[in-house]
Amino acid sequence: MAYLIKQIRARFIELMPLFFLFYISLTGNSVIDFKFLSINVHYILIYYWVLRRPQLLGYGFIFISGIITDVVFGLPIGVTPLNLLVVAAVAAYVRVVTVRVSLINDWISFIPALLAANFIYFISLYFSNYSVDYLYLFTNSVFTFVCYPILWGIFTTLTNFMKE
Amino acid sequence: METSREDVGIAIRSAFLRTDTKQRYSLFFLILFSIILIFVEKIETKPLNYVRSFVKDGIYRVSQMVSYPAKSFGTSLNFIEKHVNLNEEYKVLEKENQILKNKIVQDEFLNLENVQLKKLIDEQVSSHNNLVSSRVIIDKQSPYLNSFIINSGSNKNIKNGMTVLDGKYFIGRIVDVNFFSSRVLLVSDLNSHIPVIIEPEGIHAILYGHGSSNATLEYLPENHKIKKNDKVYTSGKEGVFEPGVPIGKVLINDGQIEVLLFSDLDQITFVNVDLADVELR
Repeated sequence: MAYLIKQIRARFIELMPLFFLFYISLTGNSVIDFKFLSINVHYILIYYWVLRRPQLLGYGFIFISGIITDVVFGLPIGVTPLNLLVVAAVAAYVRVVTVRVSLINDWISFIPALLAANFIYFISLYFSNYSVDYLYLFTNSVFTFVCYPILWGIFTTLTNFMKE
Repeated sequence: METSREDVGIAIRSAFLRTDTKQRYSLFFLILFSIILIFVEKIETKPLNYVRSFVKDGIYRVSQMVSYPAKSFGTSLNFIEKHVNLNEEYKVLEKENQILKNKIVQDEFLNLENVQLKKLIDEQVSSHNNLVSSRVIIDKQSPYLNSFIINSGSNKNIKNGMTVLDGKYFIGRIVDVNFFSSRVLLVSDLNSHIPVIIEPEGIHAILYGHGSSNATLEYLPENHKIKKNDKVYTSGKEGVFEPGVPIGKVLINDGQIEVLLFSDLDQITFVNVDLADVELR
């Protein structure tokens, strides 16, 4: 019985990134806005888990969560999945070429992921005739980058739970 | 040690094409599929629209259910806060009520006079009762699109471009219609450009949304005499919106002519959609 409970607990903790991914997509909280501060949790979540535990966050799920975000936010369908998959692609590449796990390595390599995602975002919305608040997008990228270590810490704690 | 071009190629192939680490689909395939979806989004055919409506309606319902606990928590907090401030609010409302009572008498006279004058110039005094009331089901403001979802769609004869009102105030228009839901693009959105008329001067302009900040009046004549608190109405010039729907009042901020909306867009629960035939207008 104790073994079964332990198994269920372990499975539940393993599914948490996936729950979180779909929760933020469905509730429209993938971008958290405080007064001047705005963080794209979606990017950080995907980048971290694809980099550290890719087996817990399938690309298919990332794609579906992007579709949901597009529908909830009223963006052309396909824009957010493309962004999220670009972030996942950078993370997958970094995972292949790096050996050591450290916050600094992850943090610095998050910059190209953000730049690539924003570039794709510009292009795709430009061709879809949507206006974008460029200043907002810039501040969002900066704060997303700055807040990466906080979420990195939370996710690493969760990873340690999984190991236990 | 030097990194050869082959190593980079192997790393990219490994990251993009392989479906290892329990991944069912390769990144390359999904990225390609996303790009195709963006192009497909531009194609307007009946079967595709049906699929889109079906998917969107489904996601809206699930989103509404998932958001419910968080929303209930927020509502409870507001409820408690309102109860705490009840006494103060009562005093303010009492004063306001007195002022309004005085104004009602004045307004009734002006309305009567207005109707009589309109009759004089043979203008049709129309009262439209073809409004559909709907509830806002998802009001999560996107950082990129100021809009919300209402629980009426093509089942209630709603069409793209229809005017959406909060009470009698203009707040936006329908931009996406599904079977049981529609998306309302608010006047505050970056993509919203509404032809308006500013009274009492009768000046025509375009009301531009700016996301979080106030909407502004653009394309004004050079020597305009717009003052603070002038009223802004839809002009109906483009033929989509009915003319004379109140939107807000003028606010002059550092030389910039802004419009303070009559409706608080963050506090809307029910809206009215004007079903007057858009194509006919």
